[in-house]
Formats: sequence, C-alpha cells, structure tokens
Amino acid sequence: MKGFDQIQQLWHGQAPEPNVSFENVLKRIKASRSSLAKKLFWQSISMGVAVAILLWMCFSVEFSTWTTYLAIAIMMGCICYYFASQLRDYHAISNSGNLLSKPQDYILYLKTFQQKRYRFNTRNYTVYEVCIAIAFALYGIEMYFALPLWTFIGLGIFVVFWFVICHVVFMKQFIRNEQARIAEMIGNLERIKDQFAENEE
Amino acid sequence: MNNQRQLFQRLFEENSKRVYHLCYGYTGDSDSANDLMQETFIKVWQNLDKFRNQSQFSTWIYRIAINTCLSYLRTAKRRATEELNDNIIENYTEEPSEKQEQIALLYKSIAQLEENERIIITMVLDEVPYPEIAEVAGISEGNLRVKIHRIKHKLTEIYNSNERV
Repeated sequence: MKGFDQIQQLWHGQAPEPNVSFENVLKRIKASRSSLAKKLFWQSISMGVAVAILLWMCFSVEFSTWTTYLAIAIMMGCICYYFASQLRDYHAISNSGNLLSKPQDYILYLKTFQQKRYRFNTRNYTVYEVCIAIAFALYGIEMYFALPLWTFIGLGIFVVFWFVICHVVFMKQFIRNEQARIAEMIGNLERIKDQFAENEE
Repeated sequence: MNNQRQLFQRLFEENSKRVYHLCYGYTGDSDSANDLMQETFIKVWQNLDKFRNQSQFSTWIYRIAINTCLSYLRTAKRRATEELNDNIIENYTEEPSEKQEQIALLYKSIAQLEENERIIITMVLDEVPYPEIAEVAGISEGNLRVKIHRIKHKLTEIYNSNERV
C-alpha cells in the first residue's frame, strides 16, 4: 500500500525523460519552414506557369473571337483568386496565435474558422465554378467555329460531365472531410471543457 | 532573432521535461509524448512574438501542449485505453527493475483517470503551483483544491489496486 506522497516520490525518481534535444526542435522548425516554403514555391510556380500559358495564348495565338480573350481573362482571375484564398487560410490555421488560448477560446476560433471555410467551399466555390463555366462557354464560341460539330458536341458533353462530377462528388466529399476534421477537433476540446465545467458546479 | 533563440532555448530547458510528462501522462506512450513535446515547442516558437505577458510563459506553454495533445488524439485516433497501457509496460521492458515497473504502473494508473484529471495530476506531481494549474484548467483555485484532493485519492486507490493485481 502506497500513499500519495510515496507516489509523488516515485514520480520524481522516474526514468522517462524527453529524448528530444533543443537542437532537434530547431532542426524540425527549420525543416517545417522549408517544407512550407517549398509547398508555397511549387504552388506559386504552378500558378505562374498557368497564368504564363494563358498570357502566351493571348498574345501568340490569334483567336477569331473576342470572347476567347474574355474567357482567358476570367480564367486568370479565377486562378489568382483561388490561390490567394488558399494561401490566406493556410497561413491562418498554421500560424494561428489562438493556440495560446484556453480550450474554450480555441473552440470559438475553430468554430469561426469552420464557418468561414464552409462559406468558402460552398458560396464562394459556386461563384468560382460559375466563372470557370462562363469562361469555358465563351471559349466554346471559338471552338464552335473551329471544330467539327460532333467533336464540339463531344467536348461539350465531356466538360459538362466533368463539372457535374467535380460539384456533386469531389467537392461534396472535400467539404464533408474538411468539416468533419474541424468538427472532431472542436469535439475533443469541448469534451475537456465540459469535464472542467462539471467539476466547477 | 538571436534574442528570440535565447528566449526559446531558456523556455525549452525550463519547461520541456514538464511538457513531456504532461504528454506522457495524457497519451501513455513515450514515442507519442516525444512527438507531442516537439510539436508543442514548434508552436511555441511560431507564436513567441504573439505572447502578451497576460500569463506566465509556463501557463501559456501548458495550454499549447494541451491543445496539441487533443489535436493529436484526433489524428492518431488514439485514446488512453488498455492498448496504450500495454505500450507503457512495453516501454519499460528493456531493463526491467522494480522501480521501473512501479513507474510503469503509475503511468498505467494515470491513464485510467479522466482526461481533465490526467492533465491536473501530472501538473500536481510536477509541483506546478496551484494558481497556475487553475489558470490552465480555467477553474477557480478553491475548486481546484477540492478536485486535486479527490484525484489524489482516486489515483492512490487505482495505483494500489493495480499493484495488488
């Protein structure tokens, strides 16, 4: 039979010590910074390449209708908007100062973030989708004159089908997963908050 | 930058052991505790310039550690279950001695407490001052004292019953 004082003595004489040194933590910080930088670098490169291709098309390919130029401008706007939004949210969640908050403050922060992400993935994404669809439709006018009718119809069906798949399957799944992930974080924190609250009564 | 590095090094040296104990008590697994401790200090580093002196550095670090533990349990789908209790025993089997077995039993007993009790008791065992524990837990000091009394009793009972098995 042991009393609490003996348990405390046992605790102080315990062997388990962290086997992570200060230098290791610094190394990981540098590594995580460089991996974030690498991710942002490749995102910027791919966005830059996409915009450069569109610009090159604008100046070197002679399109027969003005609608194609408008379509390219809309596309470039969409790419830049989507990249900027993702970047902003990525920074918001990864460098959140709210980590220092008590669980209840952190829950509030996560709930606000969850609502913001939901709005972005539904309302904003729909506007984004509509803009891309308009761009495709405008480009379709050029294609209508350039391609044989059946190729044009086939291409049109493929694009519509792809849009439907993205909207109904991929986007819904993405929203569901992302919301579930944040909801589970909130759930864990609320469980702890409730436990402390019960004991406060 | 250099000042920040020095401050960070001081915070790491002063708090890493306690944070590790908190993570170990919470997860019941030494590898996870090391990972979580590292993750906690990475977040501390990232948010160092946002610290506003509203509380002590150690309180602030504890909060980050608790939030990190909770987020970790989500990703790893882990709970302090019997499976984790087995891990604790395994971690001590390399050089088994009576003392190591007793410490393994202590961690096993801590893992059988409620989550909030685990957080509080590891801080009590590490002799964190009561006002600081109350701030981390977000409860009054008077209530904390009652609670600590109850948890000490509960842990002692669990430990002794585990020892008898």
